[in-house]
Order: sequence, then structure tokens, then C-alpha cells
Amino acid sequence: METNHLDTNQIMRQVIYALVLGVGAQIYFFGPSVIVQILLASVTAIIAEAVFLQIRGAKIKPAITDGSAILTAILLAISIPSIAPWWIIVLGVLFAIIFGKQIFGGLGNNPFNPAMLGYAFLLISYPVQMTQWLGEFVSISQGIDAIFGLNYVDSLTGATRLDDVKTQLMLGTQISDINLEPVSQLWINVGFLLGGIYLLLRRIIFWQIPFSLLLGLALMSAALFFIDPSQFTSPYFHLANGATMLAAFFIATDPVSASTTPKGRIIYGFFIGILIVVIRVFGGYPDAVAFAVLLMNITVPLIDFYTQPKAFGK
Amino acid sequence: MPNFTFKGGLKLENPYPAEEIDLIRIPLPDKVILPMQQRIGEQAKPIVGVGEHVLTGQVIATIDDERCAPVHASISGKVVAIDEQVMVHQSGLKAQCISIESDGKDDWVDTSIGCTEHYELCTPETIYNKIRVSGIVGMGGAGFPTHTKVQLAENCHTLLVNATECEPGITCDASLMLAYPTKIIRGIEVLFHVNRAERAIIAIEDDKPEAIALLKKYCKNDRISIEEIPTKYTSGAEKILVKSLLGIEIPSGKFASDVGVLCLNVGTVVAIFDAVVENRPLISRAVTVAGSAVKVPKNFQVRLGASYDYLLSFTDFEEGKHKVSVAGMMMGIELKGTNYSVTKNTNCIFVGMDEKSTPAKAKECIRCGLCNTVCPVDLLPQQLYWYSKGENIDKAFEYNLLDCIECGCCSYVCPSQIPLVNYYQFSKALYRQQVNEKEQNDKARDRFEFRELRLERNKRERAEMMEAKKKALKEKMASDKAQKNIIEAAVERVSSSKSDIKEQDGN
Repeated sequence: METNHLDTNQIMRQVIYALVLGVGAQIYFFGPSVIVQILLASVTAIIAEAVFLQIRGAKIKPAITDGSAILTAILLAISIPSIAPWWIIVLGVLFAIIFGKQIFGGLGNNPFNPAMLGYAFLLISYPVQMTQWLGEFVSISQGIDAIFGLNYVDSLTGATRLDDVKTQLMLGTQISDINLEPVSQLWINVGFLLGGIYLLLRRIIFWQIPFSLLLGLALMSAALFFIDPSQFTSPYFHLANGATMLAAFFIATDPVSASTTPKGRIIYGFFIGILIVVIRVFGGYPDAVAFAVLLMNITVPLIDFYTQPKAFGK
Repeated sequence: MPNFTFKGGLKLENPYPAEEIDLIRIPLPDKVILPMQQRIGEQAKPIVGVGEHVLTGQVIATIDDERCAPVHASISGKVVAIDEQVMVHQSGLKAQCISIESDGKDDWVDTSIGCTEHYELCTPETIYNKIRVSGIVGMGGAGFPTHTKVQLAENCHTLLVNATECEPGITCDASLMLAYPTKIIRGIEVLFHVNRAERAIIAIEDDKPEAIALLKKYCKNDRISIEEIPTKYTSGAEKILVKSLLGIEIPSGKFASDVGVLCLNVGTVVAIFDAVVENRPLISRAVTVAGSAVKVPKNFQVRLGASYDYLLSFTDFEEGKHKVSVAGMMMGIELKGTNYSVTKNTNCIFVGMDEKSTPAKAKECIRCGLCNTVCPVDLLPQQLYWYSKGENIDKAFEYNLLDCIECGCCSYVCPSQIPLVNYYQFSKALYRQQVNEKEQNDKARDRFEFRELRLERNKRERAEMMEAKKKALKEKMASDKAQKNIIEAAVERVSSSKSDIKEQDGN
């Protein structure tokens, strides 16, 4: 086969570049606060990584320049509400880097996706700050005020779209009565989808995980929608909302914590897709990517072992 | 079904493209150094002494092991030394070598005795023996003794002539095809005579149209076909070639001969022709010399034992600090300097200028799985690496470590520049060590258990013996007592009868 001949650092950088469209869409709809979150996250990640490497007695420079810590930081920064207070992202990144990655031996040795571990930690510990989402554009000054608590205005915040839909459904509202036109969500997902396609074309990620994840998600949501369209949202809604495309192309495809066999990747992605829908629909949290990915991370050694390709001559 | 290609592998750029791939014949070297150690078996034993004059093609060392081949003088002249020399080996291993200084005459041993072109009159056994005494081993790089391979494949149905270069940059097989197309065809016909192959296939990569055209032109035998295969790395590996041309997957742990295929390198076929028809032992081979220090890549037909420096003197060699490797850039061995000599399996010598670039440092494996996609034998190199690194050999074996052909595709594509194959070689060595240790332990345990058993047996036997003796003694005592009683009774009788007589006398 043809090889792209990128080294590990270049792969990390390419993944970061591929996020540009999705993040751009986030900025377009919700304002540049997300940039502040990314900066905060990156600085925290580098410092945390350097300090921890120092304690471990490992070489600092090669590890902090490989781009993996920054990638983790960015993934977490764009997953949390862009106006969440600064200490949220700092704590989340610290948790992701220290308990998600370094404690296992650094890059390549972590069983869990560090960004999702950080996200899950934040969501469980600070549900209020983590579920407040602005449905509208926030200017940079407003954003900085909100992030650094200079002028924290509660009225700025509201629930996320997925949360909103869930709450309304719980209140007994019919799907048909809920405004389901997710323009901003749709475009952000399109942005991440395009970035993902770029990664596929560059052969930085393989098709199995994104494809099977979206398939699992679509099939599961279609099954529920088929059972009761008045109670369950359509597959299109699940595909175009929340962190679906980010999960499919950037989070579930984290090679370190994903399955490595071709067949294993299909199983891994498929079940993440199913779990996302199950947790979104029946779970207590609005979005489900973090938990779905973490749950499947646990199964990876098992999947890998039982999906070995048939070796030549066996 | 044959599909002429295979899964995985790499399309590699030829690092040293050559405009001409002529086989250049060069003058005799002044001195040759011939190693006694070959690919398998013990070292051969020299049968000539220092100071002795030898002829070209004369046997100078023999070996008792029937599977191995003898060593021949590659030039005529005087044996000047029999001593230890550094071999082409990763660890700089030393082995005994015979050094011969040329007398410049190239006087040959008598080559008139043997099969000649009337080989059809010879029995297969005679030909196998001829191949053996001519010192022929696999010329593709493996160096396995050819007579053993040919004999094992006696009942084969297909003869596969491997004319795919092992690795990009090597053109010695192509140069042989251009120089000796008829020898190749006739060498195949010799092999048809000794085994039951119905057909022969010459496999050539599609980037060598001249060689393909030439062989097609000279091939008049309709049992021989010439097949093009895509130029893709590891296509020349025996198992892969058999699969892509014949659609037969050689089972794990088996060889081509087990599925009725005899697979020989094109150079080996030429050597068989020379040995059987021309009665000339294997004393020279084609070697590709390339690399940034030699500018124009060249192929030389050179006597075995000639030094690398001698070969390099026929190129536009640039002095300086060099990076030398032998046997190719993927599976080859890095050498320190050019102070080595050509052996039967030296297919190429790459000499590059050492650009002082610091070698890329291996990073952590990120499990990207690129290695999975290039593995031609469908292993999971990443998992093998993980378990090899942790010295978890059992687990590595569950992931089929032993089926790895060490082609190096995985190391080549690894974005973290991990020398994966080195880990696998390490694991395999560790495995062999464990097996050896286990064998030794088993032996020691067996010995110990036998000793215990013996002591136990001795003790038991002694006890039994004592018991028997005691019993015997008792019996003896008992019988003695009985005897005594009888005697006493007799004495009694006698004395009583005496007294009776007395009484009678008295009466």
C-alpha cells in the first residue's frame, strides 16, 4: 500500500488541523470563547505533562512536543460549554493528563481516552457548570467575563439542545411540538465531518471506527424511532446533534485506547454508536459520547484478542 | 486462486535506480577469504594446509553433515592463512576462514568428469550429489543448501523460479537474466529431469520488461511459463510468491516442498546448470553494488571471497565516512566498514555516505495499526511488539510470532520509528533460549529422577537381598536343626540298639 510516511508528531498535528472547521463553526455560532478555553487547556496540559514527567524522571521535551497532550486538551476544551468557568477546564485537563494518561506511563499506555476521562470527571463532579450551554452568540468580552467570573451572569446560560429536548420530552411534550431545527449543531457536525473526511483521505484514521460508529448510532436510533416516533427523535437528529461527528472521527478514533484489529474496530465503533443512543435516550446525562467511549475502552483487550486476523498459513 | 499479488506489503521506490543492469565481469581478485561457517550446520573442516597450492574449484574444506555443502577455492594460488575472521553478522561474530592469494593464472581443477550435457543419462541421485559437491546454496540470500531443498521436493508438481529481487535497489537477479537467459532455461530442464514437476514458472516483477522479453524469446519449452507480478515489496518471499502465483497457502510451520512446490532463486538455477552441465562448482556470484557513495549502481560477477573494497574499486567510489549495509535496506545487516568478503548469499552491498543525521529516536507506540495493514502474513505487529517488549513470549506466540517473516514492512511504516523487527528477533531468541533451558532442565530433572529411582531401587534390592539372605539363613538354621534332630535320633537309635545288643548279649 501507499504510505503517507507521517511520524507520530505529524499525525497529532494533522488531527489538530482537521479540527479547524468544526471549531470554526463553534466560533461562528457561539463566539470566540472556545479559543480561550483551548488556550487555557493547552497551557494546563503542557504544564501538567512537564511536571509529571519530571516526577517520573522521564524525558520532558520529546513528550511535550509530540502534540498528544495538546490534542487531548483541545478535544476536552471543545467538548465543554465554551463559557464554563476557567477552573472547570483546568481541572478537567489536569485529570485527563494525570489520571488519564501519565499515571499509566504516558503516551501509548493509557487504556482510556484521556479527554473523555476528563470530561466524565467534570460531568459527574460539576454537572451544573457542565450542562449550561448558550444557544446564542457570545462576544469575546462577555465570554471572558463568564469564564473568569468577573461578571458571571446566570441568565446568560441555558440547557444544551440535547438536554432541552430530553427535558421537554420528560415534561410530556410531543416530538412534533419541539423545535428540532438544529442549525448551529448541524453545521458544527458538518465541520467535524469534513475534518474527519480529510483525516480519512490522509490515511491518518481508518474508515472502520467512524463508519461503524455512525452505523450503530443510526440503526439504534432508527429502531427506537420506528417503535415510537412520538417519543424518540429521528436518526437524523442523533447524527446532526451533540458531539456525534466529533466522536466518530476524532474521539473514538484515538488509536491508543481503541481496538487495533480491522474487525475489532468495527465492533468497537458499532457499540459506541449504540451506547451513545442508549445513554442519550435512557440515561441521566444529556450527551453520551464520553461514557460510551469509556465503556468500550474497557472491552478493547478482549475485542483485540478475539478478532485477530487469520495469520498466513493458519 | 492465484491473483498475482498479495495483501499488505509495500510499494517502495527503488532507492538506486540504474539505467543499465549489465552484469560486469571483473578481473580476478588478488586474494580471497572464504568462510567455513555456512547458513546451517557446523563449520566445514579445512583439508588443505597453509602454504599449499590450490586450483580454482578445488575442494578446500569438507563437512560430514550430508545436508551441508563443501567449500571450494574460488581462485588458484597459495593458501596463506587459516584463521578467525569477522563475519557478516549483526554481532560481529568471528569464524574460521581460509585465505588464498592468487597466482594470477586461474588454473582449474579437471572439469571434464561429471554429467555434462548428457545429464539425462544420469540418475537423479547422481545429480543431487553433483549439486551438493558443487557447493550450491540458495543464492537469494537465505543460503539454504540447495541439494537438500531439491531432494525434499522430489515429488513436487511445480517448479517456481524466483526472479523477483528480494528488495528494492537490488538488480543482481535482473542482470543474471539478461546475461544468461539460456542457462536459466536449461537449468530448469535439468531440474525437470530430477523431479516430477510438470511445469515451471519464472516469476519476474513487472518493472523488468527487458528481462521478461529476453526470457520469453529464449524459452522454447512449453512447460516453462514466464509470469509478471506487480513490483511490490515482499512479493519475492517464498510463501507469498507461492500464494500469489499458485493460490496455495503454505500452512504455518511448513515449507513450499510440503505443498509440492520447489521454489528456487534464479541465481541458484544458473548455479545448478553450471554444476551439472559444465561441471563447475559454485565459485562466483552476481552482486549489486549501490548507494550514494558509489553513484552509479553496478552489478558484478565476482569470485566468492573477494573483498568489498575490491568490488568498490570498480565503481566511482567516494571516500569518506560510510554507512555500509548488506542484503538490502529492509532486511539487511548494517556493517561497520567495508572490510568483509563476498559470500554465497551476498546479493548486494549498499554503501552510502554517512550524512551524520542523528537517527530518529523511537517514540511510544500509539497503536495506530498502520503496521497491521502492511503485514504480508496478516499478523498484528503492534500486539507482537507490545508482548515482545514485555517479554511475554507465550502471549506473543498466541499472536503467531513464529509466522513473522521479518520482512520489516511494519518497522518501515511505523510513525513512531520503532524498530519492530528487532523486538521480534529478540523474542524469538528468547523463546529459543527458553526451549533450550527447558530441555536442559528436563534433562537435569530426568537425571535427578533417575538417580533417585536408582538409589531407591538399590535400597530396595539391598533390602530384598538382606531379606532373602535372612530367610535363607533361617531356612538353613531350620534345616540344620532338622539335620541335628535326625542325627540325634540316629545317635539315639544307635545307642539304644547298642544297649539292645548288650542286653541280648547279656541274655
